[in-house]
This record gives sequence, structure tokens and C-alpha cells, in this order.
Amino acid sequence: MSGPSRAPDGRENIRFTFDGKEYLARPGDTLAAALLANGVGLVARSFKYHRPRGIMAAGVEEPNALVTVGLGGRAEPNTRATDVFVHDGLIARSQNRWPSLSSDAGAVFGLAAKALPAGFYYKTFFGPAKLWLKYEALIRRAAGMGDAPTKADPDSFAQRSAFCDTLVVGSGPAGLQAALTAAEAGDSVILVEQDAALGGSLLVDPDPALGADWIAQTIARLRELGARILLRTTAAGYWDHNFVTLAERLAEPGAVPSHGFAQRLWHVRAGRVVLATGVIERPVPFTANDRPGVMLSRAVRAYVRRFGVVPGQRVVIATNNDDAYLTAQALREVGAEVVAILDARTQADVPAGFPVHFDARPVAAVGTLHHLTGVTALVGGRTVAFKADLLAVSGGFTPVVHLHSQAGGKLDWNEAAQAFVPGAIAQVCTSVGEVIAPLPAPAVVPAGSPKKSFVDFQNDVSLADIDLAWQEGYRSVEHMKRYTTLGMATDQGKLGNLVALQRVAQEQGVTVPQAGLTTFRPPYTPVTMGLLGGPGARNAGAHVRRIALHDRHDALGPTWQPAGYWFRPRAYPQPGETLGAAALREARAVRGAAGLCDVSTLGKFEVSGPDAAALLEIACATRVANLKPGRGRYTVMLREDGLLMDDGTVWRLGDNRYLLTSSTGGADRMAQHLSYIRQVLRPQMRVSVVNVQEHYAGLALAGPRSSGIIAALTGASAPAHMGVVAAVIAGVPVWVLAASYSGERAFEIHGEATAMGPVWDALLAAVKAAGGSTYGLDAMDLLRIEKGHVVIGAEADGRRGPYDLGLHKMLNPAGGFVGAAGLTRPALTAAGRHRLVGVEAIDGAPIAEGAMLVAREGAKVEGHVTAAGRHVLGEGGIALALLADGPDRLGAEFLATSPTRGMHTRVRVVSPHFYDPAGERYRD
Amino acid sequence: MTDVAITTLPPAPLHAFEIWSDPHGVAGRFAAAFGADLPALGTSVQAGGLTLIRYEPTVWLVEGDASTLAAVLGDDGALTAIGGGLVRVRLSGSGWRELLSYGGQFDAFAPTFAPGSSAATVIDHVGVRLWVENADSCVAYVPASFGAALVHFWHEMAALVRA
Repeated sequence: MSGPSRAPDGRENIRFTFDGKEYLARPGDTLAAALLANGVGLVARSFKYHRPRGIMAAGVEEPNALVTVGLGGRAEPNTRATDVFVHDGLIARSQNRWPSLSSDAGAVFGLAAKALPAGFYYKTFFGPAKLWLKYEALIRRAAGMGDAPTKADPDSFAQRSAFCDTLVVGSGPAGLQAALTAAEAGDSVILVEQDAALGGSLLVDPDPALGADWIAQTIARLRELGARILLRTTAAGYWDHNFVTLAERLAEPGAVPSHGFAQRLWHVRAGRVVLATGVIERPVPFTANDRPGVMLSRAVRAYVRRFGVVPGQRVVIATNNDDAYLTAQALREVGAEVVAILDARTQADVPAGFPVHFDARPVAAVGTLHHLTGVTALVGGRTVAFKADLLAVSGGFTPVVHLHSQAGGKLDWNEAAQAFVPGAIAQVCTSVGEVIAPLPAPAVVPAGSPKKSFVDFQNDVSLADIDLAWQEGYRSVEHMKRYTTLGMATDQGKLGNLVALQRVAQEQGVTVPQAGLTTFRPPYTPVTMGLLGGPGARNAGAHVRRIALHDRHDALGPTWQPAGYWFRPRAYPQPGETLGAAALREARAVRGAAGLCDVSTLGKFEVSGPDAAALLEIACATRVANLKPGRGRYTVMLREDGLLMDDGTVWRLGDNRYLLTSSTGGADRMAQHLSYIRQVLRPQMRVSVVNVQEHYAGLALAGPRSSGIIAALTGASAPAHMGVVAAVIAGVPVWVLAASYSGERAFEIHGEATAMGPVWDALLAAVKAAGGSTYGLDAMDLLRIEKGHVVIGAEADGRRGPYDLGLHKMLNPAGGFVGAAGLTRPALTAAGRHRLVGVEAIDGAPIAEGAMLVAREGAKVEGHVTAAGRHVLGEGGIALALLADGPDRLGAEFLATSPTRGMHTRVRVVSPHFYDPAGERYRD
Repeated sequence: MTDVAITTLPPAPLHAFEIWSDPHGVAGRFAAAFGADLPALGTSVQAGGLTLIRYEPTVWLVEGDASTLAAVLGDDGALTAIGGGLVRVRLSGSGWRELLSYGGQFDAFAPTFAPGSSAATVIDHVGVRLWVENADSCVAYVPASFGAALVHFWHEMAALVRA
């Protein structure tokens, strides 16, 4: 018998499938262990050459055994078989192969490997540019990894915070001891372990000095002291101020989580971080060092001792350090034959009883799809062949310094270990355990063919590719990385980067630190998009803001429109009615009778106190102090540079009490602006500014019959245009503001949001009785365009001042407002500025919103359409536009052209006030 | 088992109580009228049927019938109704602190966040104010427009707290 195996012991009761074939696993098996136990050595195909790949490691550093786990939206591609614990019903599939894993047509690329060196596509597919899309499709199809699921993830993800005195990453002996010491000193402790079991290296190499029960006793003590222990949790990122992000698996990949949550992202702020992250064993470069049956030495030991799997019966071990002899011992314990130990060192004090060859290096491995059949080695300069089904390799140990480096820590070079170890660090962080003291392992000059000696297994980067990059002039390790794609796969070069750096240093004739090192960036291991905030993380996105009367509107069946975070009724279509038809019907109801609209989302601020008017005259660019009680005024607010920030209305509710409204989209900005004025510019003022945007729900009642409705419902005459009165409607105290955005006689009714239901009901009934209807945002837009009212974000687009929008005559001549100084800049009134105009279609055709205004096709752009509509009661397209020197060009004709919409309309420049320019309809 | 309950409370009178001048005088009048000091930042006081929570440097959130506070303020501040814009949600049970750990970066377990304390933070992108009612419950003051969504979020996270 050859290849991996495991003798059954009766605990094989978990069923899983790989590529459709059913297997049995033991509790606690990783998928990799279970596959090896079932004799499966071939697990994957490589990225570029489709070479057969097996299982190389036993932890998250596994570069080869990437599989897709799970079905439908729960499928998780590119999952390391070494990082999935088998659960009953697990479905795993191999990737990047066709038609099957064992007979992969893509393997033909391996035959053409000489023609596909590093950077081949840069040299091959450089032109013509338009053909790149075809090249790209072919390349992506041929080279690739797992397919992203096309269905929505059915699971939920959670994000939570935690704070602790000490965060310990890694639960090997050093990590456990550090956690225990901290907890016993009274620290609040969080201990995280990416494995499903605590103990780290002790799970494989028990320490007699600690005793068999040390792990269990330590865990029990930690729990007793209140430490939080997180298993299956990876410290993925280490940020400033000891902020560490942890990715916790609440369910194994592909499994149905019992409580609906698949993963949890922890945001941990720690007083101190202890990194006990251990080391990763380095592979050894030689010909076909990527074949199934070539494994890392410690991984072999892990499969033997932790999972009871014997990865091979006849084993060659290649090493440059003492650790691999422990593997030889473990293999002998389970009856495997150690055929040879190839020790690259010329001498060492090693255990007796093994066939040790010093000054020995592997040259090549050969084998079947599932295991090796032989190993060729260079022993003291002679080529020697061994029959073996497994080659365990150890090229030394690379400390896991990722988190240390992410935290800004420096790295020191350990010459004896040929590895970087944690150095000085500014954050409160210490590294402990093997990560700071890797075993000595001298550099070894590889034997074998560089072309087939792989250093980055995931991206099929060989020593020859490194050599080629050097020959082609790539001197910086960062350039070499990008040219060869070394370390750019999902494993981020955990195994291969240092091997490659040794090669680069050798080429340059410098030391590894002189050759340089690429940057460690989060995450340490891949993190699913769902965890970070993809569509599956339904709670990770911003919420919808509901207006107070949401349910009442919803009962009328509106089409809802996102407006920032808000959802507002866009229109209330009747059965069979299009959105456009509904909007026009609603707008006509306003023009002809009455309409009712929800304007609760407007920004609203209550400003009170003896200095209220003075503060408002700083925030607003118009006069406020001369407003009489019971009166209001349209106003604009400017930025410091004199450009328009927002607009709204200001109302004097009482002697020292004002209500300022602003646009929906600008409400938060205005809140910040007013706070800045109040707290920073004028802290001495005797004034209170309170954001009452949500305290008041607002309803707009517009149309020629609106004043009659107000009079009927309040029992008093409606206030004159721009007047405000306190009133009671349906028993609810409200403010009635006579303001119009539609061009009709209109009112805003504001009252406490929790009480406004009856007010809505009363107004709606009255509106319907008057022959009117509700109206939504689309109708509101038709009405305001026809009236020539600007809107923040369209006409006031962040580049317009009052002069551009025809608002300069209303500015406070006394100045003193924010933006007054900025307004004096000559550029803001210079010739050629794009200023507000109206345009109407010469032939009555629709005008495209966003259309460019040009004299003729191909001519320079002189302006653009900001908002397009139509005459509400009449026919024909109309629009508001910004046009160079617009008001001076009334009567001029342009082409309003929108190539993206395929709309080209001849228009004439007119006044922006298409409807009732004298404002007669504001009066009863 | 860790338990947590989420209860949306009925609307209540809420006001912003802002002082713009003579803070010591106002504090003295408040103490005389209610027998308690105006609470400092991060704290609250319950007196005379009112709950006052320090809200901003010069502003307190007042829950209850605030009509008597007008006299306390005199010409040194303003009382502005804000109850229509806030939803009160009570989080109770042994898991309320853990529930508050979800969706934000807030140390709900800090010893300083004891009964009577208040805090302002962001939970799941929503700015909320928190008041620790007692050891077993906390009241969150949530912008009304976000109320339904945040309560939904808390109910979802409660499943994880209870697990």
C-alpha cells in the first residue's frame, strides 16, 4: 500500500463528499486530514499550469489545497482544506479543473510552461488594445480559482466590539502562559485561536515538562478568572492604537449556522497585545516540489499525532534543521518507514537510528496523482534515488510577523534561522514564544530544475521566474513581486516569500535584509466579503430612515424613492398607471385643486433666545432681524467661499423664537454648520439652537383650494403668503406656514411627529373632498421646475453662488453672514459664469435631464440641463439649465443633447419662471 | 442563559434644556426647586418626576413634565420640545450590555457605565444616547426615523446574545 491512509477506529461517523464521492471522517478532522485518511492525495489544480496539487501544510498557510465548500449562496470558494473542520453533510468540490480533477484539460498549459514564464501576458497581449477584452476573457477562464457564488448568502454576519487589558493572539504554550499570567495579574483577557482547539504546538508535540493536563488546567483557570476565549478566530488585522480585528467563524464554511450567524467580526481595543503567533515551516525548492506527496515536515507530524493519519508509508525527509527529526520519530511510532533523512547540513548532533545523509538535498520528486513514487537526491555530490511515497520537507521556519508588521513593528534579521523576527514596535505589543526564537536553519542552495522548483505554489511562481525577473532588470523586490505575482495570491506568500527573497539576495550578492521585504497588509488570512459588509451582512449597511407617517403612506401604495437614507413617496400610482402618468396627474391636482405631500424630511431648527436673530443673520445670507412675529422669508445659506450651501425658510414664531428650515439632503450639514456658528464663532451668544428635524413632521398642502381647507380645519383664516400661525388641526397643535414650492397658494403644517397621524387623516380627507390628491417627489419636481425654484444638489451644485442663481438681490446688504467675504471675489460675478435659465423645447419634445447645451452638434458645450420636466397643464418639454452668461442670452437657441440617452432636442433659452412669474397665485 | 429583551416605550415628553448664561445661577435654582444638582456630563439625575441627562456641554435631555423648569431657566436658557423626534427603547435582562456591543465601538462593560450613567455613541450607524436605568436595564434614545430599523437590528443581534 502506498500513499496516505488511516486505520479505522470506529469513530468514522461523519459523512462528507468531495467531488461528489462520499467519504467518512472522524470528529475533529479537518477536511485535509479526512481526505488524507481516505487516501485522497490529489485535491486541487494549480492556478496557472493546472499542475496536480495535494496537501502541503496542516494550517492556514496551506497554499495548494483550495476547495469550494458548501452549496448555493452558502458556497465558499478558495477555502483551505486545512482550515475547514468536517461536519456531517459537508460538500466540498475541487476548483479550476475541467472536466475533472484527475483529467484536467488545462494541464496542457503545464506542457507549454516554457512559453508561459513570469510576465508572459505583458509581453504577449500588448495590443491591439481593443482585443484585450478577448484576451482577458480567455486568460481568466484558463487561470483561476473558485467561482464566486451567484446566489445571495442566506446567513447573517455580526460585528461587535470588545475591550480588554490584554489580547493574546495564539494559544500555543507561550500564548496560554501569557494569557494566564495576565489574567492572574487581574487583567481582563481575550485569548484568540484560529484552530478549533487550544494548545497550538502542544497538540502535536506534548511537553513532558508541562504535564499532560496543563492545557486543560490552564483553560479552566482562565475561564475561572473571566478570560474570554475565542476559538476559530483569526486576528486578521492590527491597526493603530492596539485596535485589532478578529474574524470568528461561528459555523464552519458551508455549514448551516444554528442561530443564523455564520461569522462575527470583532473590533477589539486592547491595552496590550501579546503575539504568540508561532512560525510557519518553509518548503524546499527542487524539481516538482509541488506534487501530491510532498509535505511540510511539521504538517506530516500533525497529521500523524493529532489526526491519526499516516501520510505515507515510505518516507524521505529533507531538512536543514533538527526539528524534522521529531517527524521521523513520529512516523516511526506509527510504523511508517523512514527511508532516508536528507540533511543539508554537513554535520549535526542528531538522534541515532535513522538513515541520515548529511550534505544532502532533494533534486526531484516523481509520482502518481495521489502520492510520490520516488525521490532523487544529491548526497555529497552524488545523485541517489529513493523509492518513497512521501517527502517531508523542512527548509527552516518563518516567524509569523504579519500582525507585528501591520502594527508598525520593525523586523530584525536572524541569521541563524535565516528569518525575520519581531523587532522594535511603538504600540504596546510584545511577541512571545517561537516567533521570536525560530530554530536555526542555514541557507541551502537549491538543487533541481529552477523552472519546476516552485516558491509560490498558489501562483505557480518558480525559481526560474525569480531569475527571469532579475535578468529583465527588476531590482526592487516590490517590482519583482508584481512582475512575477509572487506572494500576491490568497496565501500572501506565507510559505514562499522568504524562499524567493533568498533567491533574490543570492542573485544580487547581498543579504536577505539588503534585498528587501514586501509589505505585510491585513488581512492575515482571507476574510469573506460578507463578514466585512457585503449584501449578506444585512446589518452592516446604513439603515433606511422612515418618515413618521410611513405606514399611512404605505397604505396608499406609493412607489418609494430612496432620498439619501430616507425613503419618501415618489408617486402614488393608480392601478395600471405609469409612474410618469401618476406624477402628472398629481401635479395637475395641485394646479387645479389641492395636493398633499409629506415634507417631514426637511431640515428644521428651532432657534430661540435674545440673540436668535443675530445668530440667524450669521447663518443666513438674507435679512432676518427685520422679520415681524408671524412672518417668514425664503433664505439661503452660504459657505465661507461664498457659494451656496443650502436654502430654506426662516419663520419668526415669537419675539425671540424662530424656526429655520433647510433642504432634506442638507439637514445634517446644516446641523453641523449651525453648531459651528453657535459653539465656535459665537459661543457668547444668548441663544439656543435645537435640531427639531424629526421632532416635527411636516405636510405640504398646495393648490388653489388649500387656503379654504386650512380655514375649514383650523376655524380661522389661513395666514397670508409667508405668514405663520399656531393652530389646531384634528385636536393637534400645529404650526401653519404659508410657503409655496409649487407655485400655488400653499402651506406647510408642522406638528409633533408622534401626533401627526390625525392631522394627515383630516387633511387627506379634505383634499380628496376638494378633488385633489396626494402627491410625491416626481410631481413636486414637475411643479418646482415649472415655477423655477432651485433645488440643492441640482441647480445649486456646489459651484454656484447667489449671482449664478439670480438670488443676489436678496442678500443682506449689511453683510456679516458666513460667506459675505467670499462673495466679494470678482470671479463669482465674472462674465462667462454658468447661470440659471429656463429652456423650452422648440418643437415640444421632451428634454433630457443632464443634456449638454451646444449651438450645434460637435460645438463646444456652453451649459447643461439641471432638471427637466414639462408644462403641467399645457404641453411641451421645459427645463432648468445652467448656461454661460445665461440670463443675457434669452431667446437664443441650442441643441440639448444627451448622447447617453439618445435624446437631442432643439431648445430656446427663456426665463426660468415658466409659471405665474408675477406670483399672483400666492394670493387668495 | 444570557437573556435580553427589547421594548419600545410609548412616546414621552422630552425637552432640550439649554443654558446660555449664568450656569451657576440656574444650577442653584434647580437645586432649590428639585433638591438635586444638575447632573454632570455622562451622568443623570431623577428628581421631581423628571429625569435629566447631560446631553451636550450646555444641554440636558429632560424626560417628564418639564413645565416647572421654565422658572428655573428664567432668561438664562431655553426649553425646546424634542420628544417627537426620539424613540425610547428599553434594553433589559442580563445581556443588555452585550447587546450594546454589537454594531458599534462602545464599551458597554466599562465600570464607569454604571446605573445612572449616560453616554452618546453610534450603534449600527445610528447616533443614540444611552441612559443606564439600573443594573438590569438601559434606555436608548434613538432618532425616530431610525427607530424601527435599529429595533429590528437589536432583535436580530439578541439571537446571538442568547445563543
